[in-house]
Order: sequence, then C-alpha cells, then structure tokens
Amino acid sequence: MRIFVLFFAVISATAAAGPCAAQDAAAGRQKAILCQACHGLDGLAKIPGAPNLAGQVKDYLVKAMTDYKTGARKNEMMSVLMQQVSDADIELLASYYASLTVPAKPAQ
Amino acid sequence: MTKHIALAVLLSATALATPALAQTVPDNLEKLSQFQSTGASLDIPTIQQDPAKAAAINKILSQIKLPSGFRIQLYAIVPDARHMAVGPQGIVTFVGTRKNKVYAVTDRDKNRVADEVKVFAPSINMKIPNGVCFSKDGFLYVAEQNRVLLFPAAEFFYESPDVAAFSVVKQGELIPPTEESFNHTARVCRVGPDDKLYITLGQPFNVPAKDKLDLYAKVGMSGIIRMDRDGKNREVYATGVRNSVGMDFNPKDKTLWFTDNQVDGMGDDQPPGELNRATQAGLNFGFPYYGGGKTRTDEYKTDTPPADVVFPQVEMAAHAADLGMMFYTGTQFPAKYRGGIFSAQHGSWNRTKPVGARVMFTSLKEDGTADKTEPFAEGWLSNNGEYFGRPVDVAQLPDGSLLVSDDLVGALYRISYGN
Repeated sequence: MRIFVLFFAVISATAAAGPCAAQDAAAGRQKAILCQACHGLDGLAKIPGAPNLAGQVKDYLVKAMTDYKTGARKNEMMSVLMQQVSDADIELLASYYASLTVPAKPAQ
Repeated sequence: MTKHIALAVLLSATALATPALAQTVPDNLEKLSQFQSTGASLDIPTIQQDPAKAAAINKILSQIKLPSGFRIQLYAIVPDARHMAVGPQGIVTFVGTRKNKVYAVTDRDKNRVADEVKVFAPSINMKIPNGVCFSKDGFLYVAEQNRVLLFPAAEFFYESPDVAAFSVVKQGELIPPTEESFNHTARVCRVGPDDKLYITLGQPFNVPAKDKLDLYAKVGMSGIIRMDRDGKNREVYATGVRNSVGMDFNPKDKTLWFTDNQVDGMGDDQPPGELNRATQAGLNFGFPYYGGGKTRTDEYKTDTPPADVVFPQVEMAAHAADLGMMFYTGTQFPAKYRGGIFSAQHGSWNRTKPVGARVMFTSLKEDGTADKTEPFAEGWLSNNGEYFGRPVDVAQLPDGSLLVSDDLVGALYRISYGN
C-alpha cells in the first residue's frame, strides 16, 4: 500500500517540476542539512519513527512543516525543530524533498 | 451491512497481520527456553560483504583524522549497527539495532576484518534490540524497547538459528506499555562489578510534563535501573537522567560512568551534553530541572531542584549526542589511553551547523575524576555539514583495538595502533 502511494507521489512530483522548482530544490538541499540526521539527504528515513520524504508531494510537505511550526501538529522532535525554520525555507525544503525520485515499484 | 463491516475488519486485520499473528502461534521464545527446536530455517540470513561497498566505505575512512600511529579500517558491513558486545571468548561480536535484528559478526580467519555477518536468533521477534552486553561468564543480555532477553552461551550457540533464550524481563514489564514511544527508546545494558544487570531507561519527551515525574521516578525511566541477573530485585539506581545511551564501569574504582543527551530547542550552543559519574546508588543527576550541565530548563525554571544534584564530570558540545562509551583496558594503544574513556558522538540532528560525529577520549585524574576531553577520531562531518557517518558505540576487541559502530553507513570500523 505505502509503496503505491510513494509511486504516485513520484509521478505527480515529476509532472509538477519546472525550472524554478529545480532551483528551489538545489537551494533546499543546503537547508536539508537540518533534516538529514532523521530523514536523510536522500529522503530515506535514517531512524525508526521518521518517514521517508523522497518524492513526497510538495504541498503536503509545506503543510506538515507549517503545522509543526504553528503547533497544529505535535511531535517531540519536529515541534522543537520547526521553530527555527522560516516559511521561505519550508518552501525550499519541500521543493527539495519533492524533487527526489525513488525507484518504487508496485508489489508483484 | 454488519457482515460487510466484519469482512472489512477481517481483511484489514489480515493485511496488518504479521506481528499480531506471531503472538498467536506458539511462542518461539518459550520453545527456546525449553531447549526445543522452533523449526527455523537452517539457512540463517547473512549480510553480504560487498567489495564495492567496502571500498566506498574505506574511502570515507581515509578522510578520518586520528592521532599519529593509529589507523582506521572497515571491519564489517552491518546494517543499522548500534551498540556492540564483544564475546568474552573473542569469537563473535554481537551488534544491536533500532529495528528488529541483532547481528553476529565473526572474523573467522583473524585477519582483523570480519568475514561473516548474520542475523542472531532469527526465530525470535525482537523490537528495538539496541542494547547488548555480556557478563564475564559469557551470558549475553539484549535490552529491547520493553523486554530483556538472556542468551546463555551465546558465543557457543550462535551458529545455529535456534539459540537457548530466556526472558529476564518479560514483554511490557521493563517500562509501563503506556509509556512506550519511538523517542528515546534505545536501551543500553552492562553487567556491573556487583554482578547485577544495569539498564538505562530514557523517557520519551524533550522535557516531560510534571504529571509524569512520579511515575518515571518509580519505574526508573529518566534514569538507570539495576536488577539481579535473573531479573529479580529490580531497583532504581540513578535518577535525573534524560536519555542515557551509553555507560560503563571504571574497572579501577567500580564507579559507573554514563553519557546523557540533553534538551533540544534551547539554541545551538546550549545546553551542553554530559559525561557523568555515579559513585553510588541513589544519586540524582538533575533532569528535568537542569537541561544539561547547570543550564535550567524553561519548563522547570521556577521549580526548586533537588539540593543534592550531581553535575556532569565533563560538559560536551551542545547537541553532539554522546552515545556509547567504554573504559579502555587494553595495552595495544599508548599509555596515555590506558584506563581512560572512549565515547562516541552520534552528531546533532537539530543544530543549524551540525557538530559531533566523532569519537572522543577523556583521560582521568589519579582521584578517578575526569581530566581532559579531546577528539580522538573525526572527519565524518563534511565542511558543509553533510554526514558521511554517525558513530554510535565503541567496543574493545581482545587484541586491544577499538571497534566503532555507525548506524548511518551501517558498518563497524576498527581502529588499531602500530602494526
């Protein structure tokens, strides 16, 4: 099931990506230093309890990060971390992780 | 209609099944504790030691800075490698993970590079089996998220998928199941000079709410507990600890030293990380009144801390995440290192400019207190803040060389001195 979701996410992210998105993604890679310990620079989770972000839908990522920042959503790590991330950086981070592709295949 | 719902429930239950199902079939742990075969496949899953991957890892290691005369090399590819326990017979090294496996690592030809990495006790379902430790007489303990397993003669039985196994602390009895969390849930263990089993118990929060404190004090979460090696006579040994993921006894004066991870969200440079020393049972190390060192937490700043708080021996870099530690008892390394402490810094997860990802060395004074702390092995963190490895634990091989585990790369490294 999750593999399917990831698969469609990759397709829609690729469809949405334009030249501007590519620049944002490049800038976002630098910002992702803040995320790498748990979500990886490759967008694949490095710790239990953290989700894969590679190829995730950009708008969803923006909403999730914003919700942690405002307190609408709570998590011991993300609520603390997002306090130091600007709205502009949230856009860049979301662009970066949305731009990553994963070799997801539907289950046989 | 109800039929439809029932069917849907049934279907989704089946889809989610494996863990739930495992509890309904006869429990393998029970069989193993009766020395019965579980019927597990004799074909134990092994981790391929891929030469291309090994070369890539050794290339990273060529960038690691060490004091003159030391070298570091890949020892084994071990996915998710966390804490390590070197068998007292020197045959095998067991490696815990934060997933569901413990690995057994063997250097069969004794060329100081492991030849074989395979899953240990594959017939037992484990959950976050991070903490592994040996008694001197060869009993292996595995501290999971909420259970403690015992494998007598692990070094003898590990070649077979079925291993004599017992639970020292039953599932759900290490901490109250309501307090299980994905956060701060990796335990470490040691068998002390008093022959008791010591286990660190982190609490799930950055800073816990006040209504949790009584419960945590009672069960020893936010602290260190100890018990007899059969699980009896459990008691809280130390309190006021936020989340310790590394400890060891000084063989010289029997004091217990431990690292502690400190509060997040107070800025890049505070509070400091900690290396602590417990000279006796019953000491309070200050959390949550102090968030690290003598820095008060915002949440408890108007509360009066306990009068007898023990402050750390060493204040480490803020957020560097000090994890595994050990006293060096070998003779391979120069005199300066003998009797001192090696500790691993996992590296920060939330600092604007990351710090850590290195192995530290702390020397001790004649009176047994900490003297100087300095980086021993570093270079896993690039100038632009990218991680090329995250050290978790340190362990000593029988020849006096040092193993370092890394859960980002998924590997063990060996640091040796001289030829």
